[in-house]
Amino acid sequence: MVLTKSVSGCRCFRLPLFLLLISFTYSQSLAQTPAEFFKKNCASCHTIGGGRLTGPDLKDVSKRQSRDWLVKWLLDPEGVLKSGDPYAVKMQKESRGAVMTRAPGITGEMANALLDLIAAESKLEKSQFAGLQISNRPLLPEDIDEGRALFMGGKPLKNGAPACISCHTVNSMESIFGGGRLGPNLTRAYARLQGRKGLSSWLSAPPGLTMTPIFSKYPLDAEEILPLVAFLKKETEMDKPVQSTAMINFLLFGLGGAVLLLVLFDLIWNKRFRGVRKAMIEKTYEGFNS
Amino acid sequence: MDIRSQVSMVFHLDKCIGCHTCSIACKNIWTDRKGTEYMWWNNVETKPGTGYPTKWEDQDKYQGGWEKRNGKLGLRSTGKGRVVFNLFHNPHQPGLDDYYEPWTYKYEDLFNAPEGDDQPTARPISMVTGKHIDIEAGPNWDDDLSGSPVYAENDPNLSALTPEQRAQLSAIERLVFFYFPRICNHCLNPACVASCPSGALYKRGEDGVVLIDQKRCRGWRSCIAACPYKKSYYNWSTGKSEKCILCFPRIETGQAPACFHSCVGRIRYLGVLLYDADRIDEIAGRPDNELVDAHRELIVDPNDPAIIKAARENGIQDDVIRSAQKSPVYKFVKEWKIALPPHIEFRTLPMLFYVPPMLPVMSSFDGKTVKNMSEGLFPDFDKARAPIEYLGKLFGAGNNSKVRYVLKKQMAIRTYRRAVTVGDVEMEHAEHMLREADCTVEEAEAIYKLTSLCTFEDRFVIPPAHREEAIEMVADPLEYKQSVGFGFKEEVKRGL
Repeated sequence: MVLTKSVSGCRCFRLPLFLLLISFTYSQSLAQTPAEFFKKNCASCHTIGGGRLTGPDLKDVSKRQSRDWLVKWLLDPEGVLKSGDPYAVKMQKESRGAVMTRAPGITGEMANALLDLIAAESKLEKSQFAGLQISNRPLLPEDIDEGRALFMGGKPLKNGAPACISCHTVNSMESIFGGGRLGPNLTRAYARLQGRKGLSSWLSAPPGLTMTPIFSKYPLDAEEILPLVAFLKKETEMDKPVQSTAMINFLLFGLGGAVLLLVLFDLIWNKRFRGVRKAMIEKTYEGFNS
Repeated sequence: MDIRSQVSMVFHLDKCIGCHTCSIACKNIWTDRKGTEYMWWNNVETKPGTGYPTKWEDQDKYQGGWEKRNGKLGLRSTGKGRVVFNLFHNPHQPGLDDYYEPWTYKYEDLFNAPEGDDQPTARPISMVTGKHIDIEAGPNWDDDLSGSPVYAENDPNLSALTPEQRAQLSAIERLVFFYFPRICNHCLNPACVASCPSGALYKRGEDGVVLIDQKRCRGWRSCIAACPYKKSYYNWSTGKSEKCILCFPRIETGQAPACFHSCVGRIRYLGVLLYDADRIDEIAGRPDNELVDAHRELIVDPNDPAIIKAARENGIQDDVIRSAQKSPVYKFVKEWKIALPPHIEFRTLPMLFYVPPMLPVMSSFDGKTVKNMSEGLFPDFDKARAPIEYLGKLFGAGNNSKVRYVLKKQMAIRTYRRAVTVGDVEMEHAEHMLREADCTVEEAEAIYKLTSLCTFEDRFVIPPAHREEAIEMVADPLEYKQSVGFGFKEEVKRGL
C-alpha cells in the first residue's frame, strides 16, 4: 500500500513538469528573431550581397526560385537533393559538392520569416549579412611571414580561436614533429579552394562540422585572413613533398625520448628496492670464485 | 597521563630449542589458505642468519620503521606526500624471492607413475604456480647452520663486530647460533598503522592488538614496506594484506595464542602491561642508546594507586588491572629488567620482549678432547662465543650494557642455584655474584621459578576481554530487552 501511494504522489508532479519543459523549449525557438537565426545558422556559408562563400550569395534569391521551392529546400535540403531536383543538383556542383544541412529547430514559420528577412536585406545598399570585406591589395612577402606566424600560433588569433597548427599541418613544416594530424594537410588548400577568392571566403566563415562550431564563436579577423591566404598560397606554390626522412626522424626522436625518460625514471627511483636474496647469493658466490 | 593496556609478550631465548612447533601451529590455524602459503606469521630464525624475509633487519634496503628528521619522527618508507606519488607502485616491497616460493611435492606421482627401473619420486611443485620448481630458499633456509657463508655471513647485525670477531665466528670450534622466534610485536608506535593510506590498520583499544580491517584494506601494501619486522604480508589471492592477529579469538576466550600454547620449550610468556600513551611520541624519539630504558619508562607500575586511578578513568576494568599486577611480562621487563625489545632502534616500540640467550662457552680442541677455556664454573661472558656486540645490536640498539646486565644476572642466578642444589659453589661466592648483578636472593628465586618451574597459569596471565563492553561501542546490548526476542522481519497479521 505504502509503495503505490508514493508512486501516485509522484504522478501529480509529472504532467506540470512535462508541460513546463515543452513550453520552455517551444518558447525558446520562437524567441529567436529571424536575424539571430540567420546569423547563427546561415551566415557561416551564405552572405547577402557579399559574394558566395561555401553556399551561394542569397541576394535576391526569391527572384531565382519560387518561395514554395525555397521553403521546401530550407526544411529538407537532403530530401530535395535526393529527389533529383535539377536546380538543387546544379547548386551542389557550384559549391563543390557541399550539401546544405538542415538548420536545427527550423520550422515552416521560421523558413518564411527568413525568406522575408532575405528579401528585405536584399533591398538595402549594404546588408548586415554582407560578410567580411577583404581587401584586394596584392600579397606581400611580409604577409607570408605573418601568415606563418598566425598558422603556427606564434602570433595569437585576435578573436581567440586556436592556431591552425593545433589541427593542421603543411608539408614545409614536416621535419620532426610537423603540425596537427586531426585536420587535413593544408599544403594544397589554396589550389583546392580555387585561389584567393575562394580561400578568403572560406576562411571568413569556415564551414563544416568541426570548423563551424569553433569559428562561429571566434571568427577570423579580416586582417588575419589576408596573411593566411598569402601563406597558404606560398605553400601551394612550393608544394614541397614530405621529406622521406620525416617519418624516420619522428620515430627516432620518439625512441630517444622514451630511452631518456627511462633513464630519468631510473635516476629518480635509483634507491628503489630491487630484491635482496638473489643479489646476496650472487655476491657471495662472486667472492668465492674470485 | 593516558593509561592504556597492552597484551605483551616475553620470549625466553635461553629455552628455545628451535623446533618450529609454534610456526606449524600458527600455519595450520591461520595461513593454510590460498594466497597465504608463503606467510609465516610466526617464524623461527637461526641467528646469526639473514632471517625471513632475507635480511629483513637491513633497513637501508627495506626502509622500514621510523627515523628522526628535523627532530620529528617520520616513516622511512612513506609519508603523506610521498604516498601519493608511489601509490600505484609502492616501493621497498620484498619480492616472493625475498620471502621464498612456497612449494609442496607431487605425491601422487609416487602412486601413479608407470612401472619402470627407477623408484618414482615426488618432485617439488610451486604452491603459487603449480609448476615444477628448483627449491632455492625457504623460510628457515640454513636452519641450524650458523657457519653458512651465505646466510649467516650476511646477517646485518654482524656489522657491529670487528673483522677479527667476524672471522672468529666462523672458526670451527667457535661456531655458535641461537634461535630467534618472531611474531608481530604489536608495537606501541606501529609504523604499519601509520603508513596505511586507507586507514585499514588499527590498534585495538582494549588490548593493543594490531589488526588489518579486511573490509577497508585496499592492498596498497604500505604496511609491508613500513613494518621494519616485515610482519605484515600481502595475500596475492585476496589482494589484501594480513598479519598476526595474536590469536585474538583465543585470547578473548581465555586461551593463549596457538604459538604460545604449543611451545615445547615453554619459552613464551604473555600478560598485560599498562603504559602511558601520552609519552609515546617523546619516548620513541629518544637517542638510540637511551631507547631501552625509555621504553621501560613508558610501562607504568600497575600497583601504583595513581596509575590505577588513571587506568580506571580511562575505562580499564578492575580485573584487567589485577591481571596486569600478576603479569609475568611486567616482572621480566620492568622488575627484573632481563627482557629486552628487539631492534628498538626501529622506534616502533615493540611489545614483544626477549630474554637474550646465554651462549656456549669458549672451548678449544687439544687434539683429543674439547676443553673449556674458562676458569670458573661458568665462563666470563666476555669470552662467550658470540660476541656481546652481536646481542647488543639485536636487543640493545647498540647499547651493550643492557645485554651485559641481563647476562650477568642470569649467570649469577645459575651460580646461586648451583650453590643451592649441587653445593660445589660457595654460597658466599654466589651471593656476592648476585649482589654484583643487582639481584637479591628473593629475586633470584622468583626468576628461577618463573623460568624453570612455570605452569600454564604462570606463563599466560590472560586478561578478561570484556567483549560486552566492546560491543557497547557499536550497539546497545539491551536494545532487545523486553521486546519480542528475535523479532519479526515482516509484521504478523494477527494478535494485537
